Amino acid sequence: MNLLAPIATSTIATVAAVLAGLLVIAYILKMRRRHFEVPFSTLWQRVLKEKEATSLWRHLKRLLSLLLLVAIVGLLLVAALEPEFGGAREESRAVVIIVDASASMKTIDEGDEGKDSRLDAAIEQVGLLLDGMSAGDAIMIMRMDGRATPLSRFHGDLAKHRKALSTIKASDTPASLTTSLGAAADALRWRKNPLIILVGDGAYPEDALASATWNGSEETPSSEGTPSFVHKELATVDLEGIDVRYQPVGQATDNVGIISFNVRRYISNKLNYEVFIEIQNFSKEPVTRRLVLFSGDSEINVKELQLAPGQKITKIYPDLGGGDDSVLRAQIETIDDGASDAFALDDEAWALMPENKRQTVLLVSEDNLYMEGALLIFEHLDVDKLTPAEYETALTSGELPTYDAAIYHGYAPENVVPAPTHLLYFKPFGPHSPFPIHGTLERGRITQVSQTHPVTRWLEMDDVNFDVLDTFSVDTSAAEVALFKSIRSPVAAAKKEGRRKVAAFGFGLQGTDIMLRVAFPLLMVNTLDWFAGADSDLITTYTTGRPARVPLDGTYGISEVAVTTPSGAQQKAPLREGYATFFAAEVGVHKLVAMQGGEEVAEIQVAANLSNAFESDIEPSAELLLAGQKLERPVPGTATPRQSLWIYLCLMVLLLLLVEWYTFNRRITV
Amino acid sequence: MAARAKKAAKIEDDRSSLFDEEFLKKLEYLHMVSRKTFVGQNRADRRMRKIGSGIEFADHRKYSTGDDFRYIDWNVYGRIDKLLLRLFEEEEDLHIYILMDASKSMLIGNPLKLHYAMQMAAALTYVGLANLDRVGIVPFSENLHPHLPVARGKGRIFKVFDFLRGIEAGGPTKLEVATQSFIHRYKRKGLVIVISDFYDPSGFEEGINSLRYNGFEPFVLQIYDEKEVNPSFHGDLTLVDCETGAAKEITVSKSLIEAYKREHEKYCAELSDFCSSKNIPYFRTHTKIAFDELVLTIFRQGGFLK
Repeated sequence: MNLLAPIATSTIATVAAVLAGLLVIAYILKMRRRHFEVPFSTLWQRVLKEKEATSLWRHLKRLLSLLLLVAIVGLLLVAALEPEFGGAREESRAVVIIVDASASMKTIDEGDEGKDSRLDAAIEQVGLLLDGMSAGDAIMIMRMDGRATPLSRFHGDLAKHRKALSTIKASDTPASLTTSLGAAADALRWRKNPLIILVGDGAYPEDALASATWNGSEETPSSEGTPSFVHKELATVDLEGIDVRYQPVGQATDNVGIISFNVRRYISNKLNYEVFIEIQNFSKEPVTRRLVLFSGDSEINVKELQLAPGQKITKIYPDLGGGDDSVLRAQIETIDDGASDAFALDDEAWALMPENKRQTVLLVSEDNLYMEGALLIFEHLDVDKLTPAEYETALTSGELPTYDAAIYHGYAPENVVPAPTHLLYFKPFGPHSPFPIHGTLERGRITQVSQTHPVTRWLEMDDVNFDVLDTFSVDTSAAEVALFKSIRSPVAAAKKEGRRKVAAFGFGLQGTDIMLRVAFPLLMVNTLDWFAGADSDLITTYTTGRPARVPLDGTYGISEVAVTTPSGAQQKAPLREGYATFFAAEVGVHKLVAMQGGEEVAEIQVAANLSNAFESDIEPSAELLLAGQKLERPVPGTATPRQSLWIYLCLMVLLLLLVEWYTFNRRITV
Repeated sequence: MAARAKKAAKIEDDRSSLFDEEFLKKLEYLHMVSRKTFVGQNRADRRMRKIGSGIEFADHRKYSTGDDFRYIDWNVYGRIDKLLLRLFEEEEDLHIYILMDASKSMLIGNPLKLHYAMQMAAALTYVGLANLDRVGIVPFSENLHPHLPVARGKGRIFKVFDFLRGIEAGGPTKLEVATQSFIHRYKRKGLVIVISDFYDPSGFEEGINSLRYNGFEPFVLQIYDEKEVNPSFHGDLTLVDCETGAAKEITVSKSLIEAYKREHEKYCAELSDFCSSKNIPYFRTHTKIAFDELVLTIFRQGGFLK
């Protein structure tokens, strides 16, 4: 008889202790006697005096009752250990079957008449392997995609394993071989006759196949030549003592896939953008494909590509301007309408670009040629100019329209344009300055530029001269940021007030030569882009199977975001310090929404693509070299009949309960 | 559950139908039977054995100074030359006291032993009143409860019913204490019918003997419930004495039940033997036997009507 012990011994011990406690409590409760009223207890006392000598049986009856309860609980615990008949303990194996459910397993091979995917073939193979398992073998099924997911604990119930197998669906992520092997090795630690069977198409990167070791801990000699400490590569998977087998599935099939896709807008012309795409032919034959670019549902570019065997084409499409949608989609199609691609997942890729939006800007300043001129060069801006007096009148009379941004030059009004209009100040002064003015610097120079803030990115301010620089008091604890510093004094700062963004510079355009430098238009572009949320460094295209870290503006104090996947599924993702971290498991466009108090605070869309050449190379590997060692095929075991005993134990428990019930009612037990 | 038990107890102790029309018919029947059946063998009205100034000769005794000369039997003096005084049986109304157990143990049984005792008391009272005797009812437990004064006349039977209905039962049985109180309270001797289960931890002998020693004629009627003799409970349980509240944890088995039955029988036999040895009429009945049947049995065996 074997004990499969699907539950850890410590857990069983804890459960046994708790049950023992409960049993004693139940026994004590059961000992509570029924009360019967008699008219004359003297007679009973006389009888009992005579019966004292026979009280031993009474004690034995109590003991018998307790023994029955102990037997019932004991049998239940043994049943929990899933004992089985049929198989010697020494020969039984602990087996982890890793089923590759990565993106490449969605491939529909030619011989399968377009019906079954590689995953179906893998499940069939696992079924055959299960048929060959010996009685006493404890088996665990593990799904491998971007993560390793055990679908069962170690047990020998083949019906349950088959049921678990039927739930496996191929995902859109590359296979994480290292994670899966590590999880399997950990699960098999301390178990006898450990065996890992990997069932897949072998589409794994070289570094994953190399990050394993068969020798376990390696001693590294010290300089004196004696072993000083045990060195272990923590990143590698220790497979020492574990038999690893590989069962390949799949057939040789052609594939052409997009392995890289991205888009960016031009800094100088926000209306246009350029697209970067990489396409590779993984087949052994030359192929012709049509590449179509979509903006939303509109085709914006179509190209026909000739690809030699194994050829990778890198293309950049400059000055694209069509379409109004921010979602770009690339799709490769076969020329021949009848032809089909065996692996459709990498035929499509998505990219997102900052929204192409015109900004309305209010400039409040006395005549300011440099500022007006700088704003005029941006085609996507609509600029209105008011003097401070006109501004006050318009604001008081309520005739002021809504703007995306307001620029105050040499002026800090008491009443500013209502939120969410963003505010930019040049040389604010007086009590209504967005940042308190700490002092002034004569002929000061900017010595430090924040390279991390979007407003000051790429700026070079060393050669800019100023007559006078105002210095600000910046409260970093309120998330205010110093953009420029002169020695240690902030002379430019930025902050967020809810959804409104505010930037202020401690200088005007008089008394400086900044307008003659490249830095000035760049500063304006950066600031207006920051206001618009069009961060040119923002990455919105990710690969599946890896945690994506996405910045979300204005999410201070929010701990999670709602993620809507391309299939419409809803999930939650943690949000820390303005960054949401989520695992992209589907190809397509994901929507992240941060909510606070029932209101939407921030929203962003990100694209996730397979973009993995190893996964797109769907040529199955008949052989696999893991850490330099060729993996053998699994040997079918001798299927021996297995018989689970738990059902019989439960029947015995039922029988004992009936006996207990019968004897209790007959007053044989108490 | 407590409410249900209370309700059940209330139903069981419902005394409203104890003395209904049917009951009255039975009483009348008993009276007729007593007159027809027993008149021939016993004198119609029972008389007290008291030596006094009656007309029926009873005995002789030696003359002593101060005796009335008129009662000297001169015929005897002429024959044997001794002065003997003639004694006559004094005729007077018989006093019948019904000493009825109203302790808590009488509230057990189905029907309640107390109800059965009440019906027996009512029946015997009626027969007594109908025979022109004086009858009083004295309930007791650890002492005497409020009593129904001795009186005669059939018309009082409804007062008897009312009194019986109003008896408040409770307390432990202390027969000796109760009889001592009874003796001190009632000076006129007479027949004392003790209706009880005789479940007195201190015993029944002293109580009955007290009556005997003080010139009363005890008449013992023991009532029990069948369940008392043949308990139906088994297993581990706590027995609680309904009168004393004393609890005893026991494991009841078949053998223990058998032993208990024997002990109960032995106890009853002790009471029966005691009464036989003292020439005291003794009757034992369980509550399933109809009261009128028992009364007839009593009549047949004598001791109540002479």
